[in-house]
Amino acid sequence: MSNIWKSVKLDFSLVKPYVKTICFTMVLPVIFAAINRSLLTGISFAMCFIAMTTGYTFSITEKNSMERLYGILPIRKSDMVIGRYIFIIIMGLTALIFSLIAHPVILTILGESIGIVDYISAAVIGIFLFALYTVFQLPGYYKLGSIKGRVFMYIPVAGFLITLLLITKSPVGESKLLFTIFNSPVLLMLLTIIFVIVMYIVSILVSIKILKNKEA
Amino acid sequence: MNDYLEVRNLSKSFDGFQLRDITFTLPKGYIMGLIGPNGSGKTTTIKLILNMLKRTGGEVKILGFDNITHEQEAKRNLGVVFDSNYFSDEWKISQVEKSVSAFYENWNTQKFSEALKRFHIQPSKKVKELSKGMQMKLMLACAFSYDAKLLILDEPTSGLDPVSRDELLNILSEYIEDGEHSVLFSTHITGDLERAADYITYISYGELFFSGGKDEFIDGFRIVKGGREELSADLGKKMLGIRNFSTGFEALVKTEDLKQFVHLNVEPATIDDIVVFTSKRGEQYE
Repeated sequence: MSNIWKSVKLDFSLVKPYVKTICFTMVLPVIFAAINRSLLTGISFAMCFIAMTTGYTFSITEKNSMERLYGILPIRKSDMVIGRYIFIIIMGLTALIFSLIAHPVILTILGESIGIVDYISAAVIGIFLFALYTVFQLPGYYKLGSIKGRVFMYIPVAGFLITLLLITKSPVGESKLLFTIFNSPVLLMLLTIIFVIVMYIVSILVSIKILKNKEA
Repeated sequence: MNDYLEVRNLSKSFDGFQLRDITFTLPKGYIMGLIGPNGSGKTTTIKLILNMLKRTGGEVKILGFDNITHEQEAKRNLGVVFDSNYFSDEWKISQVEKSVSAFYENWNTQKFSEALKRFHIQPSKKVKELSKGMQMKLMLACAFSYDAKLLILDEPTSGLDPVSRDELLNILSEYIEDGEHSVLFSTHITGDLERAADYITYISYGELFFSGGKDEFIDGFRIVKGGREELSADLGKKMLGIRNFSTGFEALVKTEDLKQFVHLNVEPATIDDIVVFTSKRGEQYE
């Protein structure tokens, strides 16, 4: 078993006692989906909520002074960081799969029809939102800890508003390239996935650097 | 390999505190006590050994491996016990094994079960339900389960009742009996050293004061006592620490300087005496 996978397993055992709470976080957005009669709304809420629970591993580690356990284990710091990212991505994917099954069931009961395009667009936007939150949050947690690090959660919100402002108020909004991208769902999805991967790679590298320079 | 731990010129700078040129070696099959007053740098030294702090200078070798360039190899046979538990308090004991065992190739479940049995730890209990002494034993049980060659303990006896302390020191003594294991433990309870340590490394205010055999340490110092009229400036210079009373004084001196004090009462020094007198940095105190 690789050290990265061992690290994933260790993180799972950390949050295991809190699985019920995390499951509740996944159930709540089903209500939002039902109220708004929208799969996209439900998935967006679900992925934002689950992104907020990614601090659990950091909180539990801090609460129990477990940085000392991590400090004595025969494992590279980079493997620990990659392991944690993989664990958190698994959490996100689990929430996404659950939501993509549960929300349509509720919506169908309520008489809404959901097409394949709805599924794909909701999934891509869900992945994007989850990634956007976690790529900023995780380095923040590594740098400042689970309480102060939460401030990094607001970076994507601010970034989103600024980007929206730039697109609507500047000539960028009239760009042919942007028009082409936004009018081609396949291209948009492909670019989103590439963007998410790049963001995670950069975020992981930043977190590794932070952890290597951190003193326990 | 004869030395399980080699620390050479280890240095670390913080704002307001410096650990300077700490050098000592711990041979296999022995117990070394790391002593010094609070804030002298014992925990800093241990954290530097574990690469949990970044050193400013020097080098550390654990079982022959550099603790930074070969960190994984160095830590594979290293067991560490801190003054408080480092497992999730929500874990059951069985979960502790599941979580930690994966990281050690030579983890032996049977040894873990035996250690739990010996330490009277119930596998069904949660970590938070264990007393401080039991949590200490749980950390030890883990180290024993992968046959850690070198055990490092940071103030393991602080906060333990006398019975638990005695039990822990017995465990450590048994652990090195086969001559294949070594222990480094920091403490400010000098009674523990007299019971268990073969070697002593004494750090005072970030500097190495002594590192060597326990008997050599104790034999290296004497307490001299006399009346006030017997205390001269010349003699004072040779004293490592002095305590004045209304009727006289008592001071710590090096055994090699003893011939200058033959006219005074000379008594053997205890480890406590040496630490207390030298911690005052030669200042006179009433």
